[in-house]
Amino acid sequence: MFNPFKPERAIIKDIIKETTDTTTYTFSFLDEGVRREFRFRPGQFNMLTIFGIGEAPISISSNPAEPETFQHTVRHVGNVTKFLSKMQPGDIVGIRGPYGTGWPLDVLPIKNLLIIAGGIGLAPLRPVIHEVIDRRPEFGQVEVLYGARTPAELLYPAEYEAWRQAGISLLLTVDAVPSGTAWEGQVGVVTDLFRQMSSRPGETAVFTCGPEIMMSYVVKGLLARGFKPEQIYVSLERRMNCGVKKCGKCQIGPKFVCRDGPVFAYAELLTLPEEVLGGAVR
Amino acid sequence: MSVAYARQEEWSIPQLYHLPAAKLDPFLNKLKENYTLIGPVVKGKEFVFAPLSDPGELSLHYQTTLLPPKKVLHLPFEVLFSFHEDQQIIETAQEQQQQIIFGIHPCDVHAIAILDKAYTAEYPDPYYIAKRRNTLLVALNCSEPGENCFCQSLGTGPELKDGYDLLLTDLGNGYLLEVGSPRGRELVQVMDLAPAPRVAMVEKQKVLDNARRKFQKKLNTQDLPGILEENFRQPIWEELMHECLACGSCTMVCPTCFCYNVVDKIDLNLKSGKRQREWDSCMLLEYAQVALGHNFRKDRDARVKQRIYHKLVYYEPQFGTLGCVGCGRCIHTCVKKIDITDVISRLRGE
Ligand SMILES: Cc1cc2nc3c(=O)[nH]c(=O)nc-3n(C[C@H](O)[C@H](O)[C@H](O)COP(=O)(O)OP(=O)(O)OC[C@H]3O[C@@H](n4cnc5c(N)ncnc54)[C@H](O)[C@@H]3O)c2cc1C
Ligand code: SF4
Ligand code: SF4
Ligand code: FES
Repeated sequence: MFNPFKPERAIIKDIIKETTDTTTYTFSFLDEGVRREFRFRPGQFNMLTIFGIGEAPISISSNPAEPETFQHTVRHVGNVTKFLSKMQPGDIVGIRGPYGTGWPLDVLPIKNLLIIAGGIGLAPLRPVIHEVIDRRPEFGQVEVLYGARTPAELLYPAEYEAWRQAGISLLLTVDAVPSGTAWEGQVGVVTDLFRQMSSRPGETAVFTCGPEIMMSYVVKGLLARGFKPEQIYVSLERRMNCGVKKCGKCQIGPKFVCRDGPVFAYAELLTLPEEVLGGAVR
Repeated sequence: MSVAYARQEEWSIPQLYHLPAAKLDPFLNKLKENYTLIGPVVKGKEFVFAPLSDPGELSLHYQTTLLPPKKVLHLPFEVLFSFHEDQQIIETAQEQQQQIIFGIHPCDVHAIAILDKAYTAEYPDPYYIAKRRNTLLVALNCSEPGENCFCQSLGTGPELKDGYDLLLTDLGNGYLLEVGSPRGRELVQVMDLAPAPRVAMVEKQKVLDNARRKFQKKLNTQDLPGILEENFRQPIWEELMHECLACGSCTMVCPTCFCYNVVDKIDLNLKSGKRQREWDSCMLLEYAQVALGHNFRKDRDARVKQRIYHKLVYYEPQFGTLGCVGCGRCIHTCVKKIDITDVISRLRGE
C-alpha cells in the first residue's frame, strides 16, 4: 500500500545564497520514475526531511514548467532549516509532495493579477511569476508589490529585469536602509506601495503571502480600496506534521490548511470562527 | 478506500445465538488460538483495555476504561520508518497479527467508525489501515451506564446497531450474541452454540430500556453548531480559560482524537535512527507553535475552544458526523471537573 509519509530521496544540485539568512536550493529526485512523474502547481509545497532532524513544509519556489529540477527557498530559522544551511551540493535530503491546492491560476478567469509579498513570502509566488511570463498573453495588467527588511534582503534581485521585460510592473520597498547601502527606491512597509500601484479592483485577482501581520494590513488596505474578499487570496502558514490531513496540526475551524489550503480566498477565511489574520481586520 | 465492515443488510439472515455464561471462557479460549484478544481488565480502581493472557482476566462488568481501545489502532507511539547513514529509508513492516477487541462498548465502536473516516479518506494511512483490517470488534451493549456517560443523547449508545462483527447483550443468565459481519460469523463457528429463542430480542430491549433510564448526563444537540458559532466570544470561555490547566488529559483519553506529533530519534550509534509519531493534543501550548516562537493558539481559551468546537462543530463538515460519542472520559479524567455537557448547558443558558 502506498505510504504517504515516506519521503523520496532527493539530491542537492545547486545552492544559491540569497540573503544572510535565506538560501535557494535546487533539488532533483534520485529515483528516475519519481523524478519524471513529479509535477507541481504554483503555491504548492513539499515536506522536506533532514534525516534525524525532522521535517518541515516548504513551498516550491521555481518554475512549474521545469519539474525535474525544482527549487526551495529556505529561511534558516530552526532545527531543520538551520541544518540545511550546512549542507552541500551532492548531499541527500528527503522530499515528499507536492501538497496543497496552490494559487487559483487555472481555476479563476483572471484578467489582471496583483501580487503582494513580504520577505520570504515571495518564494511561493515566484512560480506564479514564472508561469505568468510563460503564458503572458493570457493576462492583462500584472503588478508585483514586494517588501523586505533591507535592500540586501530582497529575494531574486537578478530576475527583476526579466520580470519587467515581460511587462510586469514591479514595485519594491524596504523597511530600512542601513548606512552605506545604496537604495534609490521606496522606504516603508509594503502597504505604502498602494499609493503608487496602478491595479484597480476590476477583473483583478490579488495573491498575497508574507507574515500574517503584513497580510492583515494588506487585506485591510485592499478592502478600503474597494477590493472584495472574494478576489483576495492569501497563503497561510501553520504547524504541519504530515501535509496530508492526518496529524491535525494545521486545522483552522473545519479546514485543514495542508489540504484545503495553504491558499485561501479571504472570503473563505471570513466564514471561520477563529480569527485568522491576526485579528487586525475584524 | 474504506475499511469494510459489512452492514447487516448486505448479506442474508442476521443470526442470533445464546452464549451461556459458562461458555464464555471456553469461547475466549477458542478465539485465543487464532487471535490476540484485547478486553477490559481491572487495574486498581479502574478498568483498562489490555491483551488477555487468560480469559479469566476479562471484566465485562466495566462501565468505562481509562483509555479508549483506540490505542491498539492509533498507537500512542508508532515508528513510521527507520533511516540509515546512506540515507536509505526502511519501512517498518506493516503486517499485523489478527486481533479482537472483546467487550468494546457502543460509544467506542462509533468512535472507531469516526477514526476510520479520518484515516482512510484521502491519503489513506497505511499504519492505521494495516491494524484496522486485522481487528475484529466483539461489542457489548451497555446495561449499566457510568455516571459521566451521555451516549444516549448522541445516538451512539447504549444500544449498538451497526459496525460490529459480533454483538453481545448481557441477559443475566448468559449473553445474546448477534452476528454483524461475515468475519463475525466465522468467529461463532468455533463454538457449537444454540440459536437464541425469539424472546431473547424482547429481553434485550428490556435490558436496554432499563439502561436508558439510568443516564445522569445529557447533551442537547439541537442546533448545536448554530449555538456554538453564535457564542464564540462568550464570557464563559474566559472563565474556562482560568479553570483549565491545559494539561491535555481530555484529548489523550478521547476515543475520537486523532492528532499526532512527529519526531526523529537518532540511535546510539549516531548512524541510524527512526521517525516516530506520538499522540498530540490541541490543549498543549506547543501544538500550534511554529518557528521563531510564534504561536497561533497562545491563549488558553483558544485551546479550550479548539477542543470543544472541533468535537461539536468541525467534525461534521470534515467527516460528516459529530466528533463526540458521549463516552464521558474527558469529564472523568479532568482534575478541574470541566464537563463538556455542562459547558453546553451553560451556553444555552440552562
Ligand atoms: C505551507 C507552508 C509553506 C512554507 N514555505 C516556506 C518557504 O518556502 N520557505 C521557508 O523558509 N519557510 C517556509 N515555511 C515555514 C517553514 O515551514 C518553517 O520555517 C519551518 O517549519 C521551521 O522548521 P525548523 O525545523 O527549521 O524550525 P523549528 O523552530 O526547529 O521547528 C521545528 C518544528 O517544531 C515546531 N516547534 C518549534 N518550537 C517548538 C517547541 N518549543 N515545542 C514543540 N514544537 C516546536 C515548529 O513549529 C516546527 O514544526 C512554510 C510553512 C508552511 C506551512
Ligand atoms: S469529547 Fe469527551 S465525552 Fe466526547 S468522545 Fe471525547 S472523551 Fe468522550
Ligand atoms: S484538534 Fe484537539 S480535539 Fe481535535 S482531534 Fe486534535 S487533539 Fe483532539
Ligand atoms: S499538516 Fe497534518 S493535518 Fe495538515
